[in-house]
Amino acid sequence: MTVESLNKQRVLHLLDAFAGGDVEAALACCTEDVDFLTHAPIDVLPHMVPRHGKAELREFWQTLWSRYSQVRYKAPRIVAEGEEVATYMHTYFRKRSNDRIVQFDMAVFYTFRGGLVAEIREIIDSYDLVQQVLEREIGPSIIGVRVD
Amino acid sequence: MTEHSLWRFSRALHRAINDRHFRDIEALIDEDVEWALYGPIDMFPFLGARQGKDAVLEVIRQLADNFRVRRFDRESIMLGVDSAASMVRYSLTALDSNKPISLRVAQFAQFRAGKLVSMRVLIDTFDLVEQALGRAIHLPKMTSVG
Repeated sequence: MTVESLNKQRVLHLLDAFAGGDVEAALACCTEDVDFLTHAPIDVLPHMVPRHGKAELREFWQTLWSRYSQVRYKAPRIVAEGEEVATYMHTYFRKRSNDRIVQFDMAVFYTFRGGLVAEIREIIDSYDLVQQVLEREIGPSIIGVRVD
Repeated sequence: MTEHSLWRFSRALHRAINDRHFRDIEALIDEDVEWALYGPIDMFPFLGARQGKDAVLEVIRQLADNFRVRRFDRESIMLGVDSAASMVRYSLTALDSNKPISLRVAQFAQFRAGKLVSMRVLIDTFDLVEQALGRAIHLPKMTSVG
């Protein structure tokens, strides 16, 4: 098996563990100093700040699971080369508050070190994500109406 | 060693956007290409999903009408046999306002016989909208949901 095939399997294992609600199993796929960065508006979504190390990543993932009761994903594109893997994913998060589904696409880039994930970088269609989390259009804010 | 299709496509795309030279890119797009560049299409009509070469070429022409690429840095790149994924930092100029726009873009491309058959692009669109507006969008902080 090539290193690329192995690393793809490792990413899918991490994703399955997280989607299954097993945060510790997902963290076991990561290095102690794992570095996590998602590009999202942290003024609106303050829990999406950068995370460094397992403890901080655990806190972030546990925060997600405290707000969502179900996580599903499909990964129609996975590309790997050497110690890097990129996934294009359709993701679905069910809100605990009202059972509504937040559905968005995300790109996640993983870098491995010693068979473990050492770096995670995410890019999300964040405008759409914010609208779904807020459950409202944010267009009025753009034309100057403050949304509270 | 044959050059990966991504490099030819990338050069042709930048030439199309910056120089309005579309002949090279036309030759590198499959007739049945699938293309998706998700974001607020009411603000940016060139965003959204497209099917077919003509529709994709029209998007590229719209990009050329609206932006100039000043600089791009590939922060991460993975090449498969007929696929590629990259994270690229673009420095653009919006031609209507002459404003600088800085974007981090994730691109997932698939090729067949050297031609693009699928492209999926994701952008931090909230940041894009704020940069286009030139100001922050004021929203409540989501501390208990989201």
